Amino acid sequence: MIEKAQYQLSRRAALTAAIGVAAISTPERPTFAAADQGLALVLNSASASFSVIDVASRKLIRTTPVLREPHHWALLPDQSALLVGDTSANTLFHLNPNTGEIVQRTPMSDPYQLWFGPGGRHLVVTALAVEHVDIYDGKTLQLLKRLRLPTMPSHISFAPDGNTVFVSLQSNGRLVGIDLRTLTTSWQVSVGKAPAGVFWHDHQVLVGIMGGDYVAVTDPANGREIRRVKTGRGAHNLFYAPDGQSIYVTNRVEGSVSLLNAATLDVVRTYNVPNGPDCIAFAPDGRLWVSMRWGGRVAVLDPKTGTHETIAVGRSPHGVFLTRSPTLPGAGRPAALSLSTA
Amino acid sequence: MDPFSFAADFVQQHFLVPLLFRFDLMQWQESAYGWALFSVYGLAQVALTFAICMPLERWRPIERWPDGRAVMTDVLYTIIARAGLLPLVTFVGFYHAQAWFNGLLLDAGWLPPTLESMVPGLAGQPILAFIVYAIILDFADYWRHRFSHKVGWWYALHSLHHAQRQMTFWSDDRNHILDDLISALWFGVIALLIGISPFQFPLLVLLLRFIESLSHANVRLSFGSLGERLLISPRFHRAHHGVLAAGQRSCNYGAVLPWWDVMFGTADFARGFVRTGDPSAEEAMATGSYVAQQQAGLRRMSSMLRHRRERARQA
Repeated sequence: MIEKAQYQLSRRAALTAAIGVAAISTPERPTFAAADQGLALVLNSASASFSVIDVASRKLIRTTPVLREPHHWALLPDQSALLVGDTSANTLFHLNPNTGEIVQRTPMSDPYQLWFGPGGRHLVVTALAVEHVDIYDGKTLQLLKRLRLPTMPSHISFAPDGNTVFVSLQSNGRLVGIDLRTLTTSWQVSVGKAPAGVFWHDHQVLVGIMGGDYVAVTDPANGREIRRVKTGRGAHNLFYAPDGQSIYVTNRVEGSVSLLNAATLDVVRTYNVPNGPDCIAFAPDGRLWVSMRWGGRVAVLDPKTGTHETIAVGRSPHGVFLTRSPTLPGAGRPAALSLSTA
Repeated sequence: MDPFSFAADFVQQHFLVPLLFRFDLMQWQESAYGWALFSVYGLAQVALTFAICMPLERWRPIERWPDGRAVMTDVLYTIIARAGLLPLVTFVGFYHAQAWFNGLLLDAGWLPPTLESMVPGLAGQPILAFIVYAIILDFADYWRHRFSHKVGWWYALHSLHHAQRQMTFWSDDRNHILDDLISALWFGVIALLIGISPFQFPLLVLLLRFIESLSHANVRLSFGSLGERLLISPRFHRAHHGVLAAGQRSCNYGAVLPWWDVMFGTADFARGFVRTGDPSAEEAMATGSYVAQQQAGLRRMSSMLRHRRERARQA
């Protein structure tokens, strides 16, 4: 039965591959004209749609329907398509990464977080509701392995060598290390209540502890906690600043964004961003676009002044993608470690 | 931003998330938001129905009663059903059922279906897809309702809904909790197969639920010869609640669309504004408290099952 299942899933994955993932190029972002600020795509997880906003004017251009529940996105390694996971529709939308137009839909099991590993070797997809982690071949998108983890697998980060992926398990407070050479779990340890964002940084794995008020700094060899960095209640997700010298942490419950010195992990500044801040994308003008999960808005934060304006989008906005972003959040520091984001 | 989302965001931000954080349940924050939306829409449905139906009932009542104590129990049913515990249980239960069902299918190598994957023309047409889904749900509700009258022990529970002699727009949610549970399972299966979230089209859902409540209103209102064949009116549905229609030989089972009654020969457009109630139900079902009504429903169901067993033994 398992073999049959894998075969059937592989057939579907092969169909997915037919859309063209053949060329895996370097993850560097292209350069754009300074005046071209591009578009922002905000995934409205409780409105079954995504909002397309002109970054320069902050005007909503259109709202595009998907099927059920879009949460996160990943850019194909050759950056030819933006993949948007629609979880309860079990569908992957393929978008033009410059215009945000839907090009194609393909089936995929409960795609919540999705990331391509270094070099595009693997695509790892967590299914938060159905509770498994799928590991695909990054080039062919053939399903290699399904690991059942009945503990709400959520966020993902890769080791720079691409041999290990780290996944937070929200319902049992654990972090799991998965060996991508053997496709088996290497270890699974407790890291704190409702762990969320996972983030490789300087030979350590940082984990946002959403049920607490800190980021756990752990040893990638075994997941053991080395130290804690207090940020704010509901510490959630982590992102490198475009210059790689700082790390931003969203604090879901407190309604703030902490700025950490990347060298020391000291909190150097805290920005007030209410209504459950979650994902961050960086605009060419240096501003941060932050989704406000319980505000139906996206905040545009000026890190210099600490002020922000907001733009109305759909319900429970989650992933944010900027077509002209100078960096890919989650792509590592400063050279690319991973080719996608969430 | 629409006012429902604003209210749900407020409830989530200021009440639910702090509570979840306090009790180490932050992994349920997204489900909590779903429940907040569910409850906000439920309250909005109650408010809209009240704002329109109350003046209508005062304007052209079919019946006047010396006191409205029996109606007050129905108000409690409505609050519980639309904004209270029931949506929470349904929501959490459905989340787990959906995860289990999808996991089962995925492990067997199949992707769970959606209405749009079965009818590809509906993809990219969310409003049309939702209308098709609503029609399918209404069709399913017709058959659920017909079976609830046909199967003896099930009608023993459902008779709680029919026992009300002072029927008003509040009576729509007057159901035995086991009857509600069966309905939740019934619709849950359909939602698992082709479900579309009601949050995508809150105004359409609001309209559908309003029609259901209005159909129970104590108002002398008909939609005319043609209108009554398109949408269910208070006059049409009142015939279903008539004292002569209680039990297994009823008519007009539809909830929103009378099409299914016409199609399957159970429509009766001739009856006027009849008296309502179920003479076979014990008095506690009509005028008892919420708890007394629930207990009476259970008594009637167990009595029905006992008689069935005895009949089977004698046969």
